[in-house]
Amino acid sequence: MKVLAIAYEVKDAGELAKAVKEFNGEADILAVSRAAEQVNEVARYSKRVYRLASKSPYAIYKALENLVERGGYQLLIAEGYRNLRDALSRLAGSLDLPMITDAYTIRILDGEKVLVERGFLSERAKMKVEVPLPAIVLFIPRFTEPLEPGEEGEVIELAPTEGPEKVLDVKPKAMGDVNLEEADIIVGVGRGFKAKEDLHLAFELAELLGGQVGCTRPIAADLKWLSEDRWIGISGKRVAPKLYIAIGISGSPQHMSGVQNAKIIVAINKDKSAPIFKQADYGVVADLYQFVPILIQKLKEKKAKG
Amino acid sequence: MSVIAVLVKASLNPDMVRAEPDGSIDVSAIPLKISDIDRNAIEEAVRLKQRLGWKLVTVSVVTWGPVSARMKDVRLAVQESLAKGSDEAIVVADDALTPGDQTLTAKAIKAALERSGIKPQLILAGEATIDEVTSQVPGRLAALLGYSYVSFARKLEVEDGKVIAERDLEDYVEVVEAPLPAVVSVTQEINEPRPPTLLQIRRASRKPIKTFGLRELGDIGKPSRKLLEIKAIQARRKQVIIEGETLEEIAEKLIEALAKEGVLQL
Ligand SMILES: Cc1cc2nc3c(=O)[nH]c(=O)nc-3n(C[C@H](O)[C@H](O)[C@H](O)COP(=O)(O)OP(=O)(O)OC[C@H]3O[C@@H](n4cnc5c(N)ncnc54)[C@H](O)[C@@H]3O)c2cc1C
Repeated sequence: MKVLAIAYEVKDAGELAKAVKEFNGEADILAVSRAAEQVNEVARYSKRVYRLASKSPYAIYKALENLVERGGYQLLIAEGYRNLRDALSRLAGSLDLPMITDAYTIRILDGEKVLVERGFLSERAKMKVEVPLPAIVLFIPRFTEPLEPGEEGEVIELAPTEGPEKVLDVKPKAMGDVNLEEADIIVGVGRGFKAKEDLHLAFELAELLGGQVGCTRPIAADLKWLSEDRWIGISGKRVAPKLYIAIGISGSPQHMSGVQNAKIIVAINKDKSAPIFKQADYGVVADLYQFVPILIQKLKEKKAKG
Repeated sequence: MSVIAVLVKASLNPDMVRAEPDGSIDVSAIPLKISDIDRNAIEEAVRLKQRLGWKLVTVSVVTWGPVSARMKDVRLAVQESLAKGSDEAIVVADDALTPGDQTLTAKAIKAALERSGIKPQLILAGEATIDEVTSQVPGRLAALLGYSYVSFARKLEVEDGKVIAERDLEDYVEVVEAPLPAVVSVTQEINEPRPPTLLQIRRASRKPIKTFGLRELGDIGKPSRKLLEIKAIQARRKQVIIEGETLEEIAEKLIEALAKEGVLQL
């Protein structure tokens, strides 16, 4: 069975190669966007790598259409970046292929079908689905550990096709320098905070604990109080700290799916019927403006005592 | 007259999931509700309709059956968009299309538009729906119709036969221009949806809803996806509420509990 993996970031190549290796397959790789910029690293995961120096969904869609038609690929895999969701959904429509997103495991049955486990109901549930090949599967980011790199394969350059959508301007987002995926302790802030200035409470708590500050989608995307690399949840980061302290967060499934791998979850919320208390290990029903300063004070005392 | 179509899905409500003790979930027992981000798409469509003077049509495909048990929820979702300013609605409902998959949903939307003799200049949709979160129906539809496609728009304008939008990507925002006809998916941040007023809701009951079954649509295929198992992700959390006479006492108890768990580094 011929597999084509699409790498958007360099790290995708190793992760996708690992997934393919697990079902005893081998994949050619299409490197786009940042993976195309560092194609030599990508080439260490496959004998044949196509390089498309573009992140335009249309260009990726057309390149894939061409590769699938000529190369006879039966399975296309990638991770679910927004530009790839765009490109691959168009490809799925144009070639009439089933497409499964947010997968975390994959199996091939009799070389004819794929069996995938994926999140469902905003990640309240897990769904096992089966679709016939040829098919497209998009994984959640970092769904597996990367494979060890090997010899560099051959690189074939592809020319991007221009589409109807023209880019007029590109504005990079302001990003902090946090790496929530690596943090042991995360203090999460939600709309229970009334003003941006008040977030200093969360930062002070996080610093005291040697942790980082993360947030819900509205705090980053709507209010822009924090940079988007702190956004946790189904459309943001998935994190796995030892301790997650959620302050003024209601506990929506879209947010909580991002912290389901936390070892211990603490919720501080003034509404005793907030859904987060059912998804937390320890809950404190209190106004954050009263409770967090006291918690900080007590932690400081404790620290001073050693 | 130019037409805007807005896609609306009656989605499984993730807040109303009840699992059996073994974790299994009966999907037919989960009520449907309008998918949250569809509200943003409707809000944006109504704004554009008012500015451009175009007609607005809602299109909805029933993915979760059985149809007879679901129509009440579907009608509620569709009526919300009619109340907000859509002029009419097209609903595709057929048990043979449930449980639906995204391949079929996109084909059903295309067929229903064609059968109604509607060629929208602009099709708006939410970036994803709350039950499956796949973000793939708008892109499929664009490819099937040969329209341009702008995904994840957090800002949108239509002028001189084109859309100009800000696409919101992981680490950058991209301003794009695309010719009409176009499909645009919008993010939650594009606007603040307002609930319809009582008067709007009352008026909506007089607006036409056309329902299509498979027979009217012609052969669009069958779902190819098999749902083998649906299980709840069990929240195995302790759910201890820490109580005390004073907040100081609660804070001390919390610190103690976390120290015992071995998750505090002081
Ligand atoms: C497709 C889709 C994807 C999404 N992706 C994400 C995602 O990746 N991440 C994400 O976070 N969200 C996501 N969302 C949004 C999500 O549904 C919720 O809207 C969001 O998580 C709510 O954020 P919140 O808890 O900060 O705010 P709210 O739900 O408004 O909760 C605020 C909480 O603060 C409490 N509170 C208020 N004042 C105080 C006080 N003084 N002291 C203590 N507590 C107080 C309130 O009781 C309330 O429980 C997504 C939604 C959709 C539809």
